[in-house]
Amino acid sequence: MKFILPIILAIATVVLIGVAFVASGTVVGKTVGIEAGSAMYGLTPKASTPDQALTNLLVDVKRRNWDQAYGEISNPQVATKQQFIQAWTGSYGSLRTFSALEGFELRPMHITNDAAQMRVRLHWTTPIGPLEDVRDFHLAKVGDIWKTVWSKTDVPNVPSQVIPVTYLRWDLVSAAGDDEWGAKNIDAPHVRIISMNPLDFAEGAVVLGEVVNEDTIPAFVNVTATLVDGSGKEIDEETSFDKIDHILLPKQVTPYRIDFPKVNLKNVKNVRMNVKATLVPASADPVIGVMNQKVDPDYQGKSVLRGDLLNESGQTVNIPHVIASLYDNNGKVIWVADGYVEHSLLPQTAAPFEIEIPKNMVPKVSNFHVVVNQYSMGRN
Amino acid sequence: MRRLCLNCAYGFLALGVAACLMAALAASCSAQNITVPTSAVAGEPASIAITGSGKATLYILGPGISTKQEVNLGEDLKLRGDALKNAGDYHIVACSDSCHSATFYVSAGKPASLTFLVHPSRVPVSQQDAVSGVAFPFDQFHNLVFTPQTINFQLSAGNASLLNRSVNTQAGVAWFRTSSGKSAGALQVVASLNDFNARRVVQQVASDPCNLRITGQRNAQGILVQTEPVHDCSGNPVPDGTIVSFTATAASGKSTVDAPIKKGVARAEMEATGSAVISGASGVVMGNEVRVGGRP
Amino acid sequence: MIRKFPARSCARISCSLMLVVCFVAAQYSVAADAATQVQLNAAKAAPRAVEPLTQNSIVRDYRVAWNSMSHALEFNSLDPLNGPFTGEAKTGLWQSVVSQQRSGLGRRYADQTHHLDAVFYAPEGDAIELHDTAEYQLQFLDKGKVIHEEHVVAHYVVLMTPSADRWLVRYLQAVPQF
Repeated sequence: MKFILPIILAIATVVLIGVAFVASGTVVGKTVGIEAGSAMYGLTPKASTPDQALTNLLVDVKRRNWDQAYGEISNPQVATKQQFIQAWTGSYGSLRTFSALEGFELRPMHITNDAAQMRVRLHWTTPIGPLEDVRDFHLAKVGDIWKTVWSKTDVPNVPSQVIPVTYLRWDLVSAAGDDEWGAKNIDAPHVRIISMNPLDFAEGAVVLGEVVNEDTIPAFVNVTATLVDGSGKEIDEETSFDKIDHILLPKQVTPYRIDFPKVNLKNVKNVRMNVKATLVPASADPVIGVMNQKVDPDYQGKSVLRGDLLNESGQTVNIPHVIASLYDNNGKVIWVADGYVEHSLLPQTAAPFEIEIPKNMVPKVSNFHVVVNQYSMGRN
Repeated sequence: MRRLCLNCAYGFLALGVAACLMAALAASCSAQNITVPTSAVAGEPASIAITGSGKATLYILGPGISTKQEVNLGEDLKLRGDALKNAGDYHIVACSDSCHSATFYVSAGKPASLTFLVHPSRVPVSQQDAVSGVAFPFDQFHNLVFTPQTINFQLSAGNASLLNRSVNTQAGVAWFRTSSGKSAGALQVVASLNDFNARRVVQQVASDPCNLRITGQRNAQGILVQTEPVHDCSGNPVPDGTIVSFTATAASGKSTVDAPIKKGVARAEMEATGSAVISGASGVVMGNEVRVGGRP
Repeated sequence: MIRKFPARSCARISCSLMLVVCFVAAQYSVAADAATQVQLNAAKAAPRAVEPLTQNSIVRDYRVAWNSMSHALEFNSLDPLNGPFTGEAKTGLWQSVVSQQRSGLGRRYADQTHHLDAVFYAPEGDAIELHDTAEYQLQFLDKGKVIHEEHVVAHYVVLMTPSADRWLVRYLQAVPQF
């Protein structure tokens, strides 16, 4: 009798360990239509199918089991192990270096007896929230197993050089001494909301538009909107958060977007806008050009605004953030879209970007204005 | 019943009269007439006198001060200057058998400093009534001086005097308002009262760019586009750091660069292989358009 | 007939009474704060007209300032001075409270009414000068006991300056007359 409880516990432990063994390969990535199998150390299922081969690779990437993952590509000659790792983990303090692969979904695109193409939706966790990345992988049958054909990625590499820059920045000096009334007045920068447009969107309301810094000094800008109902009662108050280029140089214009989830615009009678600008030290560099902008469908059929970011200065931009105002043919801002670029932008190099445009906005978009917000280590 | 009530009323009346007599007697024994200064000045000593004999508890409650002390009635009491630094009402309460009170006023002393508020700290040139200043005279203990004072306001840019105006304070304040100068640079603003003054600096800055002109030429990388030196309509150079937005429209799409003015000129590299139309803008000011041909 | 309550009932009654007293005291305190009447006449303000919203803010914030000052000087507490005052007004009141803490004295302002006249509003709206004709019942306290009481009609010159979200009293000085 006294051995019953320990025996039950022992059996339960064994059962749970068994469940963990079986489940571990499937919980990390959700395979559409096909089981992914186990991916435990030493228990990696044989890559007898293309999806199993890719699942094995992605599970190893997720676990940062680089030796195993590198061994699962069919053409290691196109990239060293270090390059392979860097392709997944990012470099130069980019957003990818702070990200982790959380999960994935596979979808077969084309499969023959010895070659396959799979489309993968990769789910990343990042400091700015979850990000999704869609990539196509080619797989080839090598003997009786499938392996992923690694596409050589061109990691930007800048040759050693000296780039002369006429450096321009604004420093903020706070006067020392006693706090005499009137002696330390420096006016806050003059900024102005040049457009504001409230919209119903998806499961909420949004308020969007543009702000200009009319001053001769840089400004740190934040826009707050308060929705008010018919009785004058405040419904909700939100800020532009990261849907704005916070640091505005003189005469610079930024889009802003303020999201109000679960608020119906029908209940809103008034929108109170408040733009707060404070004086901050800032630099006029780096200058980032936005080249070859155009609206195109992506390979999922969604409309995206894409182009290339060109870093025209001599410093690395670690995390570029693209924000775009989309205008109708009357010049009215009808949407503000944004997106982070996962790779850092090296000096004098270009990197592609894509921002998704909501389907219902696409027919109305007549023009757009793109600004680049940037986070550079040691400078922000 | 009615008789009983009448008796009660007489009784109360008699008691009241007796109490009044007792109180009058007591008051005559230690009559306290408090004499306070008629014109006290902040930081200067003053004296008060309380008539009567014997001892009393003296309370002084004023701005920044609250004291309680035993005093001998009939003697003059000296109040030190440092006890009367703050201008305002001072209440004296002397209590022996009963309490008596008096109030006196301490006024501000001679002006010893100026608080000077000047706005704005930056102003575009040639703006009507754009610069204003407000001055408050204070004495050495930071009491606001209400007696009329003549404050002189002087504004100068470089060696040129833009304003020299004397204004009398009313209710302790004097102010001016004037237009900004015609050229960019530091505007010195000084308020003077007797031998001391307060100095502030207003930065006069160029207005919006005027007649923004750009040029573009193809080079090995793409198109180098730059502005001519950017000035406002008065000919002042627009400050470095001001953003000029270049837009190139070509068959390959639209390219934009927000470039800061450096050394008076904004310049950027645009990527475009074919011919492109390039325009420039700064804030809400539009510039010209140039057409650059494709690469041969 | 004397009816005796059991000990538990006594405790319950005591608690109830305390609650009632606390409730009444709280109501009285709120009522005292709300009873401070402030009226503003901004018709003569110059050189800038006082905007209606600014008038409302000034009335609200000046009332709060007097309530805070009364509380600070009655209970010799410095905390109430931290919000509504700045500059010389704060320094002066701070000194008053510290001095009262040392001497054990106090001041109580009751039944306040304030008639404010805006006499100067700076061109950039960064300072306003007010003339306050105030009436109140002033009591002087020695260790909590009233030693003197009088009805006061006082004149104050007030300078208020705006902060991020409210107007602060920067200068508050009694004058014999305007």
